[in-house]
Amino acid sequence: MLAIDILIQGFIQGSIYALIALGLTLVYGLLRILHVAHASLFTLGGYLGVLITNATGSLFLALILAMITVGFVGMLSYRILYRPLLSQPPLIALIASIGIFIASEEIFRIIFGPFSISYVSAPLQNQIEILPGISMSEARIMVVVLAFVLLLGVNWLSRRTRLGIATRATVIDPDMAMSSGVNVDVIRYSIFFIGSAFAAAAGVMVSLLNNLVEPTMGAVPSYKALAIIVLGGLGSVRGALIASLLLGIIETFGTIYLDDLLDRDSIAFAFLILVLMIRPKGIFSKG
Amino acid sequence: MFKKIIFPIIAGAMSLASYAGIASAETIKIGFNVPLTGFAAADGQSALHGAELAVEQVNANGGVNGNMLELVVYDDQASPKEAAPLAIKMITQDDVVAGVSGSYSGATRAAATIFSENSVPYISAYAIHPDITRAGDYVFRTSFMGEVQGRAGAKLIGEMLGKKRVTMITLNNDFGISLANGFKEKAGDFGIEIISEYEYSIKDREFGAIVSKIKSENPDAIYASGYFFTAGPLVRQLRAAGINQPVVGQEGYDSQKFIEIAGDASEGVMITTSLDRDSSNPVTQSFIEGFSNKAGYPADMVGASGHTAILVLADAMSRAGSTDKASLRDAIASTNLEASTGQISFNALGEVQKDVQVQVVRDGNWHHHSVVSDAELLAPPSK
Repeated sequence: MLAIDILIQGFIQGSIYALIALGLTLVYGLLRILHVAHASLFTLGGYLGVLITNATGSLFLALILAMITVGFVGMLSYRILYRPLLSQPPLIALIASIGIFIASEEIFRIIFGPFSISYVSAPLQNQIEILPGISMSEARIMVVVLAFVLLLGVNWLSRRTRLGIATRATVIDPDMAMSSGVNVDVIRYSIFFIGSAFAAAAGVMVSLLNNLVEPTMGAVPSYKALAIIVLGGLGSVRGALIASLLLGIIETFGTIYLDDLLDRDSIAFAFLILVLMIRPKGIFSKG
Repeated sequence: MFKKIIFPIIAGAMSLASYAGIASAETIKIGFNVPLTGFAAADGQSALHGAELAVEQVNANGGVNGNMLELVVYDDQASPKEAAPLAIKMITQDDVVAGVSGSYSGATRAAATIFSENSVPYISAYAIHPDITRAGDYVFRTSFMGEVQGRAGAKLIGEMLGKKRVTMITLNNDFGISLANGFKEKAGDFGIEIISEYEYSIKDREFGAIVSKIKSENPDAIYASGYFFTAGPLVRQLRAAGINQPVVGQEGYDSQKFIEIAGDASEGVMITTSLDRDSSNPVTQSFIEGFSNKAGYPADMVGASGHTAILVLADAMSRAGSTDKASLRDAIASTNLEASTGQISFNALGEVQKDVQVQVVRDGNWHHHSVVSDAELLAPPSK
């Protein structure tokens, strides 16, 4: 029973990682850039979720508004940060991205104050018995449901729409896609919008689980999401999703059974090193 | 209410003025390193509000021996590599008379060594690492060491609450580990059996797995170290899982923010700390009122600690009658002052000796629960 309980906790954690890692792996696939500042958008999503919910009383509205706003901020980050650097080696964009990420923590602190902020009355806190003897708060259940719905949505987009087909074409060969009439810039803006909106959704969910958002809440996702996309094979969406769930579960068990040796973050990186020793291009890379 | 402290200061000022003929109104500079950016910025903000309040109170009552106090504030980001050069700057360029740390242990240790080497008095307001005061004779601490508070926690759980099967949740930094060491050291004396211990990192906000495991162990009480931003989510998640046993924390929880984050789950949570909100001590009362007016949020332990450290310095300066560093150091060592965090006096190592306050959350606020008063149990190391 305990094992099942912990497994479910790991699944919840993994769902959050998946929402964050998706945008990162999409951006990498498209631009070959490690978008570290992605984690700032996760934090921004968390802040907007709490502030809008407190102002309007509606978590649903807050989630939608946070996703849309952060989606646009993501597009803006492409416009002003990455687009001018596309002709430069990827390292330049990576350094710029790290700079933006560090600056954003202090910007959040200046705007929202150094103290954490919380929901006036945290929504979705009722306990529901999902299996005999195991109950979860509605917020936890919602994390998994939301991750599932959003990821299915992306899957549908990618397979059934022109945008999806054009995106996959651009990932495989941007020049070929462009000469076939695909507007590569539109694809890039769209991907930044979707990836950033998902990070915002993850931020709102984390704010619900912990009932706090703070300027530094993006610190752990900033590097852990990188570990996840490396594990999954850089640029592979399916790989990133499976790596997210695996890592969530391994970490959660590790918190209980390995806590004397390693803390949660070290477990993630120990696992990363182990996998890379066996499969240097990630678990799900081809060849 | 403030007269007890202020009277000798004014008296000192008047005697000095009559001696010198004219009251020379120089400012006395006190260095203050504090994290105003980075992960510890929230605590830094409170420490700064507390210290500034103390300076305003002292100056409003005529300053020290007729001279006004001035804080020279630097942001150390709670980082040793920032704090060390700042300490050098405060001593060599700003020419501070003394320094106060409103920062965490790492930064405080780094600065303490430099202050000590230069024979400039330095007070740690709330950093807990044992080595801070060992930096030298010029370093003092006005708050409890982690071990001392951990011992008080053991007495609270084992003797005062009568709970014997205890699970520990330990923050794996110097703060959490030293608390845990103090707790374990004395747990046996109070009949406590530690049935399990889990460690977590300062970045963790998600405790699902630990909570599930503790639920299966069904302890009598939980001793959990942490700061309000880790303990808030932890307590919320424990209570949500139906774990209703007493949770005992420490001064890291001591903020209204803890109650805000944990919500109703915070009711009944107890902590060992140095600020008693229901104290009848006039210095504490005027601090609590002055702090919330100044900061715009309720007083906390860190704010009170910053306040206390400055008052200890001001009191010592007025007794020393000069800003000579050696005589100021001796005056600090012989402190016996009623401050916002209780009666302050130091042992040979410069560690404070005072009672531990137990506070409990009731109706959404911290309130007095009890006092752990046991000089032997709470004795800090003296060398």
